[in-house]
Amino acid sequence: MTFSLASLGRPSLVAALALMLAAMALSAWGGTKKQSAAAEAGRRALTLAAGFVVLAGVALVTALFAHDFSLDYVTSYSSLALSRGYTLAALWGGMEGSLLFWTMLLCGFSAVAVRRRRGDDTLLRTWATTVLAGISVFFLVLLIWPANPFVVLADPPPNGTGLNPLLQSPGMLIHPPLLYTGFVAFSIPFAFGMAALLTRRLDESWLRLTRRWTLFAWSALSIGVVLGGAWAYTELGWGGYWAWDPVENASFMPWLTATAYLHSVVIQEKRKMFKVWNLSLILMTYALAVFGTFLTRSGILSSIHTFTEGPIGKWFLPFLALMLVGGLAMIGSRLDSLRSENRFDSLLSRESAFLANNVLFLAAAFAVLWGTIYPIIAEAVSGVRLAVGPPFFNSVFIPIGLALIALTGLGPLIAWRRMNPKAFLRMIRIPLGAGAATAIALAAAGVTSVGALTAIALCSFTAVAVGSEFVRGSRVHRAREKLGWPAALARTLMRNRRRYGGYIVHLGVVLIVLGFSGASFKVERSAHLAEGSSMVVGDYTLTYEELVRGETGEKEIYQANISAARDGELVEALTPQRNLHKVQQQYQSEVAIASSPIEDLYVVVTAIDPDGDASVRAFVNPLTWWIWAGAAVMAIGMSVLLSEPSPARVRATSPARVAKPAVATR
Amino acid sequence: MQPGPQTPDRKRRAKFLIGGGVIFLSLVILVTWAMTRPNSTSFFYTPTEVIDLAAAPSAEYRVNGKVLPDSVRREGLTTSFEISDGRTELDLTTDQALPDAFWTAMANDSSEVEVVARGRYDGTVFTATEVLAKCPSKFKAKANA
Repeated sequence: MTFSLASLGRPSLVAALALMLAAMALSAWGGTKKQSAAAEAGRRALTLAAGFVVLAGVALVTALFAHDFSLDYVTSYSSLALSRGYTLAALWGGMEGSLLFWTMLLCGFSAVAVRRRRGDDTLLRTWATTVLAGISVFFLVLLIWPANPFVVLADPPPNGTGLNPLLQSPGMLIHPPLLYTGFVAFSIPFAFGMAALLTRRLDESWLRLTRRWTLFAWSALSIGVVLGGAWAYTELGWGGYWAWDPVENASFMPWLTATAYLHSVVIQEKRKMFKVWNLSLILMTYALAVFGTFLTRSGILSSIHTFTEGPIGKWFLPFLALMLVGGLAMIGSRLDSLRSENRFDSLLSRESAFLANNVLFLAAAFAVLWGTIYPIIAEAVSGVRLAVGPPFFNSVFIPIGLALIALTGLGPLIAWRRMNPKAFLRMIRIPLGAGAATAIALAAAGVTSVGALTAIALCSFTAVAVGSEFVRGSRVHRAREKLGWPAALARTLMRNRRRYGGYIVHLGVVLIVLGFSGASFKVERSAHLAEGSSMVVGDYTLTYEELVRGETGEKEIYQANISAARDGELVEALTPQRNLHKVQQQYQSEVAIASSPIEDLYVVVTAIDPDGDASVRAFVNPLTWWIWAGAAVMAIGMSVLLSEPSPARVRATSPARVAKPAVATR
Repeated sequence: MQPGPQTPDRKRRAKFLIGGGVIFLSLVILVTWAMTRPNSTSFFYTPTEVIDLAAAPSAEYRVNGKVLPDSVRREGLTTSFEISDGRTELDLTTDQALPDAFWTAMANDSSEVEVVARGRYDGTVFTATEVLAKCPSKFKAKANA
């Protein structure tokens, strides 16, 4: 037998486990006894352990690319015919691989986060090392025993089963890694928060040290969630992007609490308030991130995402319970050191707006959590089996979401600490006018859906409110430095990236909400068509011209050539397919979408008779394009935020800036 | 930093409690209202229960069972088949598109396909407005294909 890298996989994980245990013990001892040598040894043990985990990851990836079918994992999730990209994607295509990927990210991020830097808080870092090593131990135990990705088959088959064709979509190359990156990166602020509790260093330093990690985690999670929606939209063929599926909810809940955290951190940094709240939020976010991983991988809820049902579910609950109970107990025991150093001065203040934001995000998170776990609770309590469907989630979420979008516009208009109501009225006049004008225009154009009307009017209100912040900022720079508008705008943005980067993200959110509101104008039609016959959907007449058969090494292709005409004029040629993947003997519909900012024409073939007749399902989805455009705008804002210079330097100026009532400066 | 006098402090706390209470109550009301919206929640039944209940056709509910492979017929947009819980068989029809996973399973090892269908029962046929298919670990099972 020749040497294979895969044989090093499990031993590497065992070595990593031993080192992580050592890192935990050494850094805890070093932290308690103030032994910096021990703390340093602990840090190095963690870094070395990370190296071993990466080695295990490389071993599995190598085995995938080498088509080493003696590994059960390689056989189950890849095949000879699989393209290179999707062979890599097989790393996170199954339970064991995705846990290895998770752990690899966790250890890698940990090693980077606890590295030595000048002028940072050594004790905080030492205890963060303990916490991170502890989390890694849990995942390594999972990987070594119940979810071992290196199980060897006694009788290796000549070819593997291949990756589920549903997962073979470009979105799947980046959606899971981004989601996992987001989930895992929250380990860092969580660990530093816990370290702050352990060391009683409860000032803002843990927030400052982890600010970039928080932003990074949140950005990755946001983009990951959007890409998940894009994947569902382009692959699943039901014309929508979000089904309130339990696993979608699992990624959405930590996003909601993380977004609340991202905002409330600002209050602690600027006004030294909300300390207990922030620690609770990061604890909740991380618990929900781990819960999300658990939901995806336990098979406890049936879902499109439970591609594998694993034996690891029962391991997660004790871990989660330990984390939550431990975290809450620690917050409870430190309450005396967590007093707010400032108070609310007035109801009409930026602080109140932030508080309202937090309450709404948390309410949304709890409502989604309730809908997700209610079936489990109901069955456990009364034996009733039921399902909670989209109408529940939409009913709860739309009002909360609309309130949040309104608040996004209101927030920047309100000054810190207190504001003269007259000044507020002066600020809100123009945005409010824009919102009202939009509502009137829509009503005049015959829009009857109250939800859509409200949503679009609020979008316009918020866009104008946020946009006027840019105008106001640029005007100052223009006057002071004699700059043209573009230069003044750039200066505004670069001088205060945190604030204006945030506003760009908000503008992206506005566009996304605009995209969501299009769902109330959605049209859907189905028809069974013979070649040459037509159907009508919305303004379009779809004609099924012909069926084209083809074949590749991987699949048999059945392509329906469909032409779309509007007002008698040909506007699009669409080619939805219904293919049979040979190795898996799996049918897979390929959707055809003609997308534009106004509306998407979305066509999918759901069945084809032997004589060529086809069942065609067609949708007109207005404004959906804006969801993806909004996500792109959000991504731009995120890069502005992440490009901000080191937070330590920013801090030196910010407290002075908010100390005086901001009304005067406007 | 600047603790206020005793009375405003208590007043402030009372304000917070009332405010928090109002917010909590509105959330509870919102969630309760949402739970009672049409099709927010739907019960799961077995084919036996559906027929025993002779179901009140007012609300949609879900039924789950194994598909009898030889019973599947498709005619244009309409697909009909029987599902069973091992004791009772139930006729099911739908004009909705069935998921690819359903047809994949039918083309392969069709004896293990479980569906969850949402819809109504009129005393003879269950008319589904949505059908989900569940084919446990089909990839692992076919490792030697």
